[in-house]
Amino acid sequence: MALDVSSQPTLRSAPPPETGRRAPARMLLRQGGRLLGGVWLFALMVALWWLLTEHSTSPYFPPLHTILNELAKVWFFRAAQQDLVPSMEHLAIGFAVAGVIGIAGGALFWRVRVAREALTPLVYFLYVLPAPVLLPSFILLFGIGSFMKVAIIAFAALWPTLLNAIDGMRSVDPLKLETARTLGLSPNRTLWSIVLPAASPQIAAGLRNSLQVAILLMVVSEMVASTAGIGYFILNAQQSFESVDMWTGIIVLGVVGSILNLIFVIVERLVLRWYYGERALQQA
Amino acid sequence: MATLTRLRRRVPGEVHRPPDTPSRPHRRLGGLGVKVLGLVCAVLVWELLGVAGALPADSFPTLPETARAIGTELGGSAGWRSIGQTLAGWALGYGIGSACAIAVGIAIGLNRFAFRSSISVIEFMKTIPVVAILPIAVLEFGGTLKMEYTLVAFGVFWPLTIQVVYGVRSMDPVVRDTAKALGVRGARRFGLIVLPSAAPFIATGLRVAAAVALVLTIIAELIGGAAGLGRDILVAEDSGTSALPIVYALIVITGGVGIVLTTAMTQIERRALRWHERFRPLERELA
Repeated sequence: MALDVSSQPTLRSAPPPETGRRAPARMLLRQGGRLLGGVWLFALMVALWWLLTEHSTSPYFPPLHTILNELAKVWFFRAAQQDLVPSMEHLAIGFAVAGVIGIAGGALFWRVRVAREALTPLVYFLYVLPAPVLLPSFILLFGIGSFMKVAIIAFAALWPTLLNAIDGMRSVDPLKLETARTLGLSPNRTLWSIVLPAASPQIAAGLRNSLQVAILLMVVSEMVASTAGIGYFILNAQQSFESVDMWTGIIVLGVVGSILNLIFVIVERLVLRWYYGERALQQA
Repeated sequence: MATLTRLRRRVPGEVHRPPDTPSRPHRRLGGLGVKVLGLVCAVLVWELLGVAGALPADSFPTLPETARAIGTELGGSAGWRSIGQTLAGWALGYGIGSACAIAVGIAIGLNRFAFRSSISVIEFMKTIPVVAILPIAVLEFGGTLKMEYTLVAFGVFWPLTIQVVYGVRSMDPVVRDTAKALGVRGARRFGLIVLPSAAPFIATGLRVAAAVALVLTIIAELIGGAAGLGRDILVAEDSGTSALPIVYALIVITGGVGIVLTTAMTQIERRALRWHERFRPLERELA
């Protein structure tokens, strides 16, 4: 079975950067126009949501201003501390553990080829297995405390990083490896100075997948078994028909998800600046 | 399509590729042996742990128990019905979501203004965890098949749309300009230029979306209460320690469904895009 997870996230090409020497004023205008072009639809949608639900009496779709009022009241102090902080802690620990084990495991598999060949099908099975089905067994094994949540987040988020690390390290340019051999670099040295950097774009792609999975499992684990956390908050509000509260939770979750992704992309761009620079050169 | 491929290969400056080299069957076969051995070893470890009594009896069943439970599930109609329900939710949601995504994505990709206006909205929607929508879907539709495929379609739509949009916009400028110079327009341009360059992006997006869709289907069953494998697992877990092997049997079966779907999607992608550079044998060999 061929592992073909390599090309999924990297396929998206970044728009080439604008490099022109225009007058600063015109450039500013241009950028302003671009920003406006990117934002107007978003603003329109929020406005539509506001207007359409303004006099809504549907229990499921309360007016947006009611939701926003409630959001400010509930989330800025109490719920943020009670529900958001523990969720974020579980997520951070779980994601970090998954990332470290994923990259280290990839390196180990690179060093020990037999292990890689032998264990790839198992890894692939666990990657393909929808992680939420494991929740019941994790609850049986670890109870419903914080440990279970961190464990399932880490477990589920491990596979995308591991598989991409394996794949990225396997497809390092053979010429580089031969050069390293000719120079007499030790395997460890080769790993640190050649294999890891060469595989890092794909490892980053794997980590980005892992982050999505980790967020998903954070919410799902709180929905199934918990007394705190943002997932619990949303599901609890839904089950007690407090739809305004439910909507505030959904908005907070959406914003948190977006911010986490944004942070990831920024860090990725900074760490892999050399790679994006190279690619932009190739495309030019 | 053939025209385009020829066009592509004649692009000045592009490296001429050497003729395809035959793959190495011996190594592949050896690799397969090691892979099977790896799986056998994993299963053996499970069995040995069971025999040695190292597995906690109240949370982890032994291999024979689980194997027997898998047999019962797949031997009777109940197991297959659940698999069918899960597959139905998956297929409907995946089908609706990807059809919409391809239509919308192509429309946005072809229009500069539409692209600039909507891309940030779509990128934002993509980052919202889909489970956030689950309670709304449950409120609106209850624990039904409709809730299930709505959730799946929603989750499939955003990332796939982005993939399609970038695929349509990824046209090779030389190909695009050549088509323009030759006066290829309208439907012919769409079929000859736009679709072939977007196809690999769309195919990759479809393959990834298939896996995402399965995860969401399971979540809709596990939390939303729609019928299928996910709900069976929760029900089995709630019915006590004696049903433990069934829980694990269902987990293995779900994994099997995942493998079948993913393998099928990978194969379809490879067949459908055989003409594309990425899937020509040489490239695969190097990759």
